[in-house]
Amino acid sequence: MKQASSRLGEPAALITPGLIFLVLAFFFPALNMLSLSVIGPAADGGGFTLEHYAKFFTDDYYAGVALRTFRLSIIITVTCVLIGFPLALIMSRSPGWVRSVLIMLVILPLMTSVVIRTFGWLVILGPGGLISWVLETAGLVGNQISLMHTESGIVIAMVQVLLPFQVLTVLGSLNRVGPELEEASRVMGAGFFQTIRLVSLPLSIPGIVSGSLLVFALSISSFITPSLVGGVRLPVMAGSIYQQVTGSFDWGFAAALSVLLLGATLVLVIPYLFVSRSGRR
Amino acid sequence: MSNLNISTISKTFGSQQVLNNISLDIADRSFVALLGPSGCGKSTLLRLIAGLEHPNGGQIHLDGQDITRLPPERRDIALMFQSYALMPHMTVFENVRFPLRMKDSAPKSEQAEHVRNALAQVQLDSFADRYPRQLSGGQQQRVALARAIVAEPKVLLLDEPLSNLDARLREDMQVELKRLHRKLDLTTVFVTHDQTEALALADQVVLMNKGIIEQIDTPERMYARPRTVFAAKFIGAANVIEIELRDIAGERCGVLNDGTVLDPSPDVELPAGRYKFMLRQEAIIFNPKGKNTVRLEGTIETQNFLGSVTRSIIRIGNQKISAVTPAKNTPVDGSQVTFGWNLPDFLPLQD
Amino acid sequence: MVGGVPYGVKLLSVVLVAAIAIFMLVPLMVVIGSSVSASEFLVFPPRGLSLRWYGEVLQSDAYLSAAKTSVQLALVTVVVSVAIGTSAAIALTMFRFPGGSFLSALFLSPLILPSLIFAIGLLMVFSAYADGPSFTGLVVGHVVITLPYVIRTVSAALADMDPHLDEASRMMGASWWQRYLLVILPQCRTGMAAGAFFVFNISFDDAVVALFMRAPDVETLPMRIYSSLEFSPDPSVAAVSTIMIGITIVLVLVLNRVFGLARIM
Repeated sequence: MKQASSRLGEPAALITPGLIFLVLAFFFPALNMLSLSVIGPAADGGGFTLEHYAKFFTDDYYAGVALRTFRLSIIITVTCVLIGFPLALIMSRSPGWVRSVLIMLVILPLMTSVVIRTFGWLVILGPGGLISWVLETAGLVGNQISLMHTESGIVIAMVQVLLPFQVLTVLGSLNRVGPELEEASRVMGAGFFQTIRLVSLPLSIPGIVSGSLLVFALSISSFITPSLVGGVRLPVMAGSIYQQVTGSFDWGFAAALSVLLLGATLVLVIPYLFVSRSGRR
Repeated sequence: MSNLNISTISKTFGSQQVLNNISLDIADRSFVALLGPSGCGKSTLLRLIAGLEHPNGGQIHLDGQDITRLPPERRDIALMFQSYALMPHMTVFENVRFPLRMKDSAPKSEQAEHVRNALAQVQLDSFADRYPRQLSGGQQQRVALARAIVAEPKVLLLDEPLSNLDARLREDMQVELKRLHRKLDLTTVFVTHDQTEALALADQVVLMNKGIIEQIDTPERMYARPRTVFAAKFIGAANVIEIELRDIAGERCGVLNDGTVLDPSPDVELPAGRYKFMLRQEAIIFNPKGKNTVRLEGTIETQNFLGSVTRSIIRIGNQKISAVTPAKNTPVDGSQVTFGWNLPDFLPLQD
Repeated sequence: MVGGVPYGVKLLSVVLVAAIAIFMLVPLMVVIGSSVSASEFLVFPPRGLSLRWYGEVLQSDAYLSAAKTSVQLALVTVVVSVAIGTSAAIALTMFRFPGGSFLSALFLSPLILPSLIFAIGLLMVFSAYADGPSFTGLVVGHVVITLPYVIRTVSAALADMDPHLDEASRMMGASWWQRYLLVILPQCRTGMAAGAFFVFNISFDDAVVALFMRAPDVETLPMRIYSSLEFSPDPSVAAVSTIMIGITIVLVLVLNRVFGLARIM
């Protein structure tokens, strides 16, 4: 039970510092970016212009970048869903200590810096790396092979980076349901796979949907892993933005790319908020 | 002397009227129950007295002083919460000392003395150093009680004081609360939805329904002479029987729905028309004798054996009447019976 | 459904879990393994065993000053984020006021909006309205991305609290500062501590905001690691990464022991 609405001064005082901070450091920068994306170069007077957006939509290079980002994100999300559901199901229906170990298994990598995890993948995927060494030792390939600078490499590393988000979200919705309904289903004569298909899976749909939206949103804006694994030959949206900001110093164009990315994210995030809220009941 | 006067109090939450023009005087040293179903406004009334909510209209006076707008910490009123609200990070001793620490600047040793006294009142002297989570539910409640009385408030408020206890502890606590009230002579107001609790503890019962007060009476009168259908049904189990009063051969008679004429007719002075009457289950007599006794024929439809008594559902025409009678003298299930009641037990009710 | 699972499915589950475990942990294992290599180059499996790269790291001014910056940044972020977040969480969980659920969503929104976009926006603002990115700018950025974690952990702690404690303290005569000092903040303690661990870990590990808000004189450990990965990494990167993994493991274990990871994630 929350306290009566008759005392508004106290919550207002408590929430004001955070709100001011959020507005100045979060929403103002977003709005500022929006305005930068439609303002021309200072040399031309800095008036309203859509040239940054026009550049994106007319340049085949950026169409390719956007398409690659989108395609990779879809593959990464689908892979996370396919691996995440069984893992979450196993976790939620395991005895206590197994579950604790598995949760650690998911959270420990999640809490490790993305830079370090990507570093690990560079060593694994690279020439003379773990995969190459295993295949060579087994006599399967003659020469050193490398998955660096390949889309497969990006997908493998990104799935490892994002899988925890998917698993934890699905786990949350499975935990809310509890095993009783599955037990009831078995008692009523449904087989194991029938129970998963008719009970467990439908009940975790909200978790799967909100988890995959989150994974997709994080994936299209990921920058460290694709940049390091893919390199300059396989640029994605986020990497291009970084390039514009730190290399070409074309901030208007960087702002436009960011706004487009933000727009794509918001389209996903709003249903995410909606789904995760209805799933919480 | 602590007289609590509540006059023309109204409270709305949004568009919902929770209390509608309530007036109530609570005498010094009385033990008052605010009784009613959930949503009747009794908890809101308690929170208004405590100062945790403010009314939209009306005043509350304590000893002649207007406290309507006074914040809770300046009212000298203690409240024992339904959840007990014990501070989990403080020991029993620290919990009970809390009000003293907030209010007066008495030296620590004196405060400690008060705390020990309060804990002794509830027989928890030896638990002072424990934390609330190390105590049973009943013990936690007694800590909450000690904390409520330690600062000697003018009024003690209790929110559903027995609802979190199991049946046996509840009886112990009823005895305990009554004893404590007598000993401390403290004006006490408690909220409950349980009529047996209200009847067992209070010396005044305030029956509330849908934001208004239905009836204020002693427990005995509340049980014997409820004024309304709601009061009759809420307090104890009662048959509410609809009859028509009409004149037959120049005499005022009571007629049941199926046409049976009650003999003798109800002892009331009311104009002709349809009325609802109350008949307590235990007022029913099988094979009644005597001249002031109504006599009817019916069939026992179902029976439940309850130990010392038996409950029978008697069908007469399309009417069902529930009777609770001593197990020994009750006719068997399914039998045709003659039953009735003493005339004064048949009471007219307002809607 | 632990009983009644077909034998084959159980076997399959074990194989699946083992495969995912290897997949999840192998990047960390490889980093740890490379750090003890005796060779001049980053290779796995390592050739020869040596702790020489740890020695190099501990004698490298660049790494030591980056570590110092990272720790300072994380600590300042913890203080600011926990203070602001706790205060907001108390308002959002203990009080009912118009727009409350909207504000809750607002405060959690940095969790789902990509930090990349936010980092660019912040960089543009700091370049236009301040003297460009700086240590302060990094603190601001890290507070924004960590605030939701503090709000979540403190709200969870307050959700466990008896909702009448605060009212009880008012009934007993507590003034506003006594309520906060003696009743409300003690109830927030575990949530604040859990939040602080999260904030430290996120700030200490972050590379995205740090790379965009890169100031000439401010370099954190993740920035340093990223730069060396872009050019020519040697096993000293693995050594410093292993130390950071070690710190993360300690933080995760403490979090799990004290609060239970399953409860706060």
